[in-house]
Amino acid sequence: MRLPVHSSLLALALTASAVAMPGAASATDIQMWVRASGATAAQFMIDLWNASHDDKVVATVIPDNQMVTKLATGSQAGDVPDMVSFDLIYMPDFMKAGFLKDITDEMKKDPNYAGVAQAYKDIATYDGKIYGAGFTPDVSVLLWNKDLFKAAGLDPDKAPATLQEIHEDAKKITALGNDTYGYYFSGSCPGCNIFVTSPMMVAAGSKLLPTKAGDDALTGDGVKDVLTEMKAMWDEKLIPDSAQADTGANFFATFETGKIGIQGTGGFAISALKHDKPDMNFGIGFIPGTKAGEASAFVGGDVIAIPAASKHADLALQFIHWELTDEAQLEGLAKNSIIPSRPALADNKYFKDEPRVVTTAQALGKGFTPYALHFNDMVNSDSSPWIQMLQTAIFDGDVDGAIKTAQDAMKAIAAQ
Amino acid sequence: MTDAALSTRVAAAREERVVGSNAGVRYLLAAIAVFISALMLAPVVLSFFASIKSKADASATPPTYLPHSFSLENYRNILDYQAGLWTYVGNSLLVAALAIVLVVALAVPAGYGLARFRFRGKEVLFLVLLLPLMIPYQSLLIPIYMMFAKIGLANTHIGLAIIHAILQIPFSIYLMRNSFEGVPKELEEAAVVDGGNSFQLFTRVALPLVLPGVVTIALFAFITSWNEFLAALIVMNKETLFTVPVMLVSVRTGHLGAVDWGSLQAGIIVSIIPCVLIYVFLQKYYVSGLLSGAVK
Amino acid sequence: MNLGRRNLLGLAYMAPALLFVAVFVLYPFGQLIYTSFTDASLLGGGKWVGAANYVRIFTGDPQFWKALWFTLKYTVIITPVLMGLGYALALLTAQNDRVLQFARGVIFMPVVIGLGTSSLLWFWLFDQQVGLFDKALVDLHIANSMIVWFTNADWALWAVIISVTWKVVGFGMILFVAAIQSISREVVEASQIDGAGYWQRVSMIYAPLTLRTVLLVTLISAIGSMLAFEQLYIMTGGGPRGLTFTSVYWIYQSAFIKFQLGYGSALAIVLTAIITIAAAIQIFLTSRSAPQ
Repeated sequence: MRLPVHSSLLALALTASAVAMPGAASATDIQMWVRASGATAAQFMIDLWNASHDDKVVATVIPDNQMVTKLATGSQAGDVPDMVSFDLIYMPDFMKAGFLKDITDEMKKDPNYAGVAQAYKDIATYDGKIYGAGFTPDVSVLLWNKDLFKAAGLDPDKAPATLQEIHEDAKKITALGNDTYGYYFSGSCPGCNIFVTSPMMVAAGSKLLPTKAGDDALTGDGVKDVLTEMKAMWDEKLIPDSAQADTGANFFATFETGKIGIQGTGGFAISALKHDKPDMNFGIGFIPGTKAGEASAFVGGDVIAIPAASKHADLALQFIHWELTDEAQLEGLAKNSIIPSRPALADNKYFKDEPRVVTTAQALGKGFTPYALHFNDMVNSDSSPWIQMLQTAIFDGDVDGAIKTAQDAMKAIAAQ
Repeated sequence: MTDAALSTRVAAAREERVVGSNAGVRYLLAAIAVFISALMLAPVVLSFFASIKSKADASATPPTYLPHSFSLENYRNILDYQAGLWTYVGNSLLVAALAIVLVVALAVPAGYGLARFRFRGKEVLFLVLLLPLMIPYQSLLIPIYMMFAKIGLANTHIGLAIIHAILQIPFSIYLMRNSFEGVPKELEEAAVVDGGNSFQLFTRVALPLVLPGVVTIALFAFITSWNEFLAALIVMNKETLFTVPVMLVSVRTGHLGAVDWGSLQAGIIVSIIPCVLIYVFLQKYYVSGLLSGAVK
Repeated sequence: MNLGRRNLLGLAYMAPALLFVAVFVLYPFGQLIYTSFTDASLLGGGKWVGAANYVRIFTGDPQFWKALWFTLKYTVIITPVLMGLGYALALLTAQNDRVLQFARGVIFMPVVIGLGTSSLLWFWLFDQQVGLFDKALVDLHIANSMIVWFTNADWALWAVIISVTWKVVGFGMILFVAAIQSISREVVEASQIDGAGYWQRVSMIYAPLTLRTVLLVTLISAIGSMLAFEQLYIMTGGGPRGLTFTSVYWIYQSAFIKFQLGYGSALAIVLTAIITIAAAIQIFLTSRSAPQ
């Protein structure tokens, strides 16, 4: 068979891959999986480590919503990396499944581990054993546009202290007209809302997810108060129509247009906004509850852990010990405007000129991370009880029915 | 009716074979065709324009059709991502090439067997070969991956190529069977008289005549392989083994699924270019390949 | 050549493909069937639970049937759209005139673009903030403001249909063009001499003589639509309110997102059975209605 196209394609492919193959490494490569969202932050740490160590860390970026599948199938097939950085929320599922290596003794001996934010320690502990450590934190905060605040006659340096204040401010900002809206949230994005909307509920006294079978879900008045207030903002058209369909694609881009007054976001927004919109004046504060003084945050980001079948667990452990040191926390994270996972390091030379990052670092201490099995099922999946509740309550207006349905659905999932 | 009149009418009929002969009508049809072509091209052209906007411009509201300024920022973003674009392109091309070899090597003889021989159970076997069409392949990926892990095909280009070949096998066999059926038997019978054996008939007489069909299945194998995402992600475990679609999903993902619209556009253009180039380049082959193979 | 030898020879040509399908499709399919009778999860487990997963499908999972119903609706709407438009475009461009040939080439072009890529492209075009399709509708005064496509299941469905139509309409068109061009000149000319008008010819000659191709393309297209996944996964994420899940999307959701591998396998088996039966019925009807 003579088909020139095949042979030339093949030749092209072979050359391309031959060029790309790195030469054999003299020291050991430490293979690491990193979820895409955390890749930029992780890369700062990896570069810093690689600059001073012979055994290099090699990162493989896994798309966010595929990380669990990858780690689960890899674990069953015995084909896993040496360490992995993933969304901390999946720790309980993975620890229970036995995918991760018990590193209790090593962490207890490490003086730096004691200083890691409590939320990370809690989420990485199962049955009294430790399976991981905080790696690249991301904490939710409230973001507001100071220019719009000024234009609307509000104090640009004062963060709204309650959800009701957000509502009042949003009215004034929307009244500016010209497609300006007071508030924004991604109405079809379960993950975005557990990140920025759930802290309001928790601040107002609610507990969200059942930790074990039999526990109640979505307890307390916070859930209802927050949903009622958001529904009112939606009804009064203080939130753009497009919010309802946003699956997260515009979670960040919308605020960048300069036409949104207030929105919940993550600490990452500070450096991203400074890069994309150097002229924009924005403030960062805590996510409030319904009464003055209430505040909370979702402590998110990535934890680092070692798969049970890791081939270089010793090297991976070295890396974990290293990433908790002052040097790594300051030069790898703080220097790049990322908050350290040890709250005591919030006060450092890199954050001196940027009080907004200090606010974020303080939010880490006020925050929570829900400890739940089946988190995907309850919260993160498309059409989860969590997102259905938000949509039914805010957009369809049935607050009580929405909460009841979600409570039952979450209880049923927890009982599995 | 005189002969002359008849032949004029026949000529006129030839002229307007499908549509009216009236010049006005023909211009109108051409205008419609051009308009539809413009509509079909618009999405890709707009995406290209968006891809050469700056990152901030690409996510500006309200959007603009044309770029205000020229910037390669989005392409640079993709070019330098992790292992570098050329690693992913290399992997994708290698996997696609292997998938093409597999599909052609399996589907061409199978199509010949189905077209030229009569034997009991043939129809059942044909249906077995079409089975991959009916099963949602996403559900087969985990069992296949577990098997690959056991026999050492996980993390290999050939392993991924096998999965991509599975996706194309039914269509390719179907097309090859019909292509071979379109080749007049007389040609091979003549060759038998000249003393050729079956394999020689296949390779020397029938195969050259179905070359357009072969090019067609190769082209479709390429397109499938080049664009496939889920299997590539599950089978490969290292950044340096990932293919272009896996990289493109990661590169456009911001926090909590926020989309980097600029990188998205550049990614779309990067994934479209090879497919369209090959399409334009091979157009005359595979159109006739589809014509001879799919209509029967 | 004796019959036995020809049997063997035919089999020999098919053997590599059969072996390949047996090892890489039938064997994993067997595993899939086995898994469907267990409580396997991505996180471990795998106890034999008999038909429990199947019982759950038929009694305890309304969302799957909703998804199947949505898939059917999608298939029933998009198939005639694709066939009708494809045939109309084929009639328009069947002549080997240079402009028309060019149009044919352009209309087919999206077929060679990946479905994932084209879905992302349209996801962007339909975006309520940065989408240029929406902007064009506003600029042409068809819409008053940027349309939010994905808050309403019907609008979302139409958005997906528009994007998929753009992507695949050329496939049917090319095959229909081929069928039209393969009609012998004599037949067409004879009808013209008999004074048949253009539309008369379409209904009396083209339609019946291309019926077999139309039915075949309909079958391929319908099976493809029944297995729709990527376009919905990328464009709607199953929303709003989980109203745009397709069957395959729900299987993916069960197995990969909720980790319920055993249950997801059972769903896949049920869907395969449904599609196989539907395809068999259609093939049966096709072979009866177009005896050729």
